[in-house]
Amino acid sequence: MSGPGAAAPPGQARRARLPIRESARLHDAHHRLTLAAPEIAASAEPGQFLHVWCHPPEELDRPPSAAILRRPFSISRVRPPDGVELLLRVRGTGGRMLAAKRAGESLDVIGPLGRGFRIREGLAVAAVVAGGLGLAPAPFLVERLRDRGARVILLVGAAEDERVPFLVERPRAGRATLPELAALGAEVSFVSEAVEGVLVSELLEARLGELMEQSAEVFAIGPRAMLKRLAEVTEGCLPLQVSLEERMACGVGACRSCVVPARAEGRPAYQTVCREGPVFDANEIDWERLEA
Amino acid sequence: MSAPDLRVRIGGLTLKNPVMVASGIFGYGDEFMGLAPFGELGALVLKTVTREPREGNPPAARTAETPGGMVNAIGLENVGVEAFLRDKLPIALSYGTEVIASIAGDTPEEFAECARILDEARVSALEINISCPNVKQGGMAFGVDAEASAEVVAAVRRATGKPVIAKLTPNVTDIAGVARACERAGADAVSLSNTFSAMVVDAETRRPILAANTGGLSGPAIRPAAVYRAFQVARAVGIPVIGMGGIWNASDALEFIIVGASAVAVGTALYADPEAANRVLAGIRDYLERHKIASIGELVGSVQLRG
Repeated sequence: MSGPGAAAPPGQARRARLPIRESARLHDAHHRLTLAAPEIAASAEPGQFLHVWCHPPEELDRPPSAAILRRPFSISRVRPPDGVELLLRVRGTGGRMLAAKRAGESLDVIGPLGRGFRIREGLAVAAVVAGGLGLAPAPFLVERLRDRGARVILLVGAAEDERVPFLVERPRAGRATLPELAALGAEVSFVSEAVEGVLVSELLEARLGELMEQSAEVFAIGPRAMLKRLAEVTEGCLPLQVSLEERMACGVGACRSCVVPARAEGRPAYQTVCREGPVFDANEIDWERLEA
Repeated sequence: MSAPDLRVRIGGLTLKNPVMVASGIFGYGDEFMGLAPFGELGALVLKTVTREPREGNPPAARTAETPGGMVNAIGLENVGVEAFLRDKLPIALSYGTEVIASIAGDTPEEFAECARILDEARVSALEINISCPNVKQGGMAFGVDAEASAEVVAAVRRATGKPVIAKLTPNVTDIAGVARACERAGADAVSLSNTFSAMVVDAETRRPILAANTGGLSGPAIRPAAVYRAFQVARAVGIPVIGMGGIWNASDALEFIIVGASAVAVGTALYADPEAANRVLAGIRDYLERHKIASIGELVGSVQLRG
């Protein structure tokens, strides 16, 4: 495992043409692609991403008029021995092309890329905080945390239920939950701004004391505004790792498109999300300069 | 028939074939390692370096995808020439092909100082970036003016014995005039086109997508405009022309060569397909064999104009 600030060593990026095992349309424009990828399944860390070519691999020689860049997707879930799941919300051309793929077709993929979440040896309690589509990579992270013996408190927020890539269940009595994630052994709390009128960062704030007592660590994935708030809330009391998103071109650290402001002394002012990230320790980021 | 002769000469430098990776695409070579056999290519042109490290433009966003292309405004973020020599160049050299350094500065003296420092290094040539549209000083400010371009080229020429390539901007009225001025000032070759000045606006928020407001367009969208400029420049100068701008496959590259480019560089396509330049090289070789052309030089400038 690499330490803070360490980029993946050169020569680690791998490219493959991977068969699609399943292509499933989910609720509200969400889509799941399951790839057959034993090497990725065996080596990937939660928080790492795949850089996906949206067009058919056999048409690489033809200049496309749209979606000329690859699309980064964090790995949503690994199903040993070889299943790798990606979850997307179909918004633009690239997403539409990927959602139109069928089982048996293949995808040209570079990855796994970037630096994933670091899980400390002996971690007893983990709070995973996810907002909206940020929940996509949560199953992989929750499963890995559970495998390492941690209790996982999963706090999920969204503007509305439909913005979450997993189904929200609202029982008549009791609180909203996400059955697919609860089934992985996480203690799930869900709030939407539309129904509960509560932000997920408030859920974390309400449990700060309890989490500090248990020497918990926080793992967060979601919109910038949520991450910024979490950085404020946890400052000086709980270790926080955040997964950041930014527009990418190369995906391997060369083009310097996806940079975010860093604050550690003696390091370059900007760090790439694709290579030094996407997962950063909160204290590596200059939150004041990071645009929401 | 024996294998076609793909070698090209640029000043005193002989490349084993005419296909390069364009500057700014590939970083300094370490990031793309393992993704393609880059050592097969004629040369690797590394990301522009300046005398001192530069932070570049603010993030969010530095890049925007557009139809058939992308607009970028990175702003010459780089590690500076000293860290380049110490940390980056050895990795690029490990590919085993010619490595060309790209340099920029705010003044002709700063270009010359970079050139002097690199004169001792194991780089095969220097490309002078007088065409970056994304910095306020230097960059394209030189490239849009023939005399200012010539001044930079002359300063670098005096500072190095290595072959000197002037990288030209298409954002001028008379690119052939700028190319001629560079030739007179001692350039061994010219390369073109750098990106086309461009802007992308989010209509909902009325804000430009790029933090720098404007940027440079690259990718297949610019190819026909870049081919035309290569054609104009090749007819105006006697030194080799390195053609680039939206090359995706071998037939794209051949367009540049047929209108007069001696060599070509592949850029944006590498983000889709890290093996794009290798694919281009294989396709050029196939083409020469298929047309029974013994040497790439026979094809350079062989366009059959109509009417």
